[in-house]
Amino acid sequence: MSAELSATDYLVTVRDLTVVKQGQTILDAVSLDIAKHDFITLIGPNGAGKTVLLRHLLKLESPYGGRVHHQSGLKIGYVPQRVTIDPSLPMTVQRFLTVNNDVTRSQLDSLATETKISHLLNSPLADLSGGELQRVLLTRALAGKPNLLILDEPAQNLDVNGQLQFYTMIDEIYESRKLSVLMVSHDLHLVMSSTRKVVCLFRHICCSGAPESVARDPEFISIFGDDMAKLMAVYPHSHAHDHDHDHDHHHHAATDEES
Amino acid sequence: MSAHILLTTLALALVAGPLGCFVVWRRMAYFGDGLAHSALLGVAIGLVIGVSNQIGMMAIAIIFALSLIWLRAKRVLATDTLLGILAHAALSLGVVAMTLLGAGDIEVHDYLLGSLDAVTQDMAVWVIAGSGLSLGLLMRLWPGLILMTTSEDLAHAEGVHIVRYEFALMVLMGVVVAASIQLVGILLITSLLIIPASTARLFARSPEAMAIGGSAIASLCMLIGLPLAQNFQLATGPVIVCVSVASFMLVLMARLATRKG
Repeated sequence: MSAELSATDYLVTVRDLTVVKQGQTILDAVSLDIAKHDFITLIGPNGAGKTVLLRHLLKLESPYGGRVHHQSGLKIGYVPQRVTIDPSLPMTVQRFLTVNNDVTRSQLDSLATETKISHLLNSPLADLSGGELQRVLLTRALAGKPNLLILDEPAQNLDVNGQLQFYTMIDEIYESRKLSVLMVSHDLHLVMSSTRKVVCLFRHICCSGAPESVARDPEFISIFGDDMAKLMAVYPHSHAHDHDHDHDHHHHAATDEES
Repeated sequence: MSAHILLTTLALALVAGPLGCFVVWRRMAYFGDGLAHSALLGVAIGLVIGVSNQIGMMAIAIIFALSLIWLRAKRVLATDTLLGILAHAALSLGVVAMTLLGAGDIEVHDYLLGSLDAVTQDMAVWVIAGSGLSLGLLMRLWPGLILMTTSEDLAHAEGVHIVRYEFALMVLMGVVVAASIQLVGILLITSLLIIPASTARLFARSPEAMAIGGSAIASLCMLIGLPLAQNFQLATGPVIVCVSVASFMLVLMARLATRKG
């Protein structure tokens, strides 16, 4: 029963997607499949082409080369990085969730319960905290009953606690709704500590798979080596050394000032 | 006041509410000013090829919007710089052309500050039809426009064709500016859009409430301002703007007073 999945079994099939802008290659022969109930985290340094790839996955742009295929019946829910509300625009959460789409009141109520924003429905959008706003954006993405959720660094502007809560909510929705998730993340620490599939992009797909195999990939190390090293520096065994060093430094600084 | 003037002004006030909201939300005030300035060139062209002022002004407004979109896509100069170049080029060409064509200072003055005498029955038909069409189109595009104003990213991802919507909004502004210029005047047309919408913002809790509130306030200002202009032989534009600013101050003070209490 382990027959290869054919192209039509995937929600999204990307084959040799190439994007060239002003003579510069942004994406080079990227191939990627998103199957039912996949959870893929896309990582890559700034300028790696992550957002461009997302825009093509959403079919907002037509490819320079290669192709992007959507399975018929595919519905994508999209959560952008952030939304900045101009204070001159009066907009409550409820109005925002119903503008340009047709959700009923009861659908809205059950969605709001799922994403824990019921108490916010009558608040102005401009008054929300970063975490609340991201949950509202997530709610809007879920309103179209998507089978694929695409999130572009959804927790970038949240504090550590808020990030954790948001990712937990995504996990719960992924399990309860049985949908597929493709998420861009900058947060290596969280990504590498989970067991989800990771795709590392740097103009082309450098490596993909489980975090521990990706972490050993030479290309991953050459791109993220420094960042990973910084992450490792947080762990306790190196802390004592750092502390000593800091102490020394302060001591010197103090004497310098006194003399 | 005669019926055709009353209907003309109310039609303009109705469309000024929602359109003014977009000028406020999307920071299009300078664009509106630019359109208004270019209108004089439209009048001159209308005189040369023998079509009505309104057609000349609308044609120039559309050319103006297209040039702006095209130049902006080149990403070399900032939008306000481009607007400055386009608007003042069109205004200067307009003044030169009008003078060469033999228009007197008084006629140019009327275009700059507005005049009730300019509102003929022919023009009333134009303005009412233009405002009605604009209002209809605005209502049809409303959900997409609101989503796009909240978040361009989200609107794009959900299938709103941003460039088309933005162009539609620019053309609508061109139509409304062209329609109202002879009444309110080139110099003050933007304030007719901005002040009622801003007044409505002080109490509105939804985009729709702000748009409807803007229409109501604009209507009220017209109904108070026009008889004043007529009785005291004043240019209509400045009188309407004075009334609008007074209404803005009143609502603002009422708002501050209730907040304290």
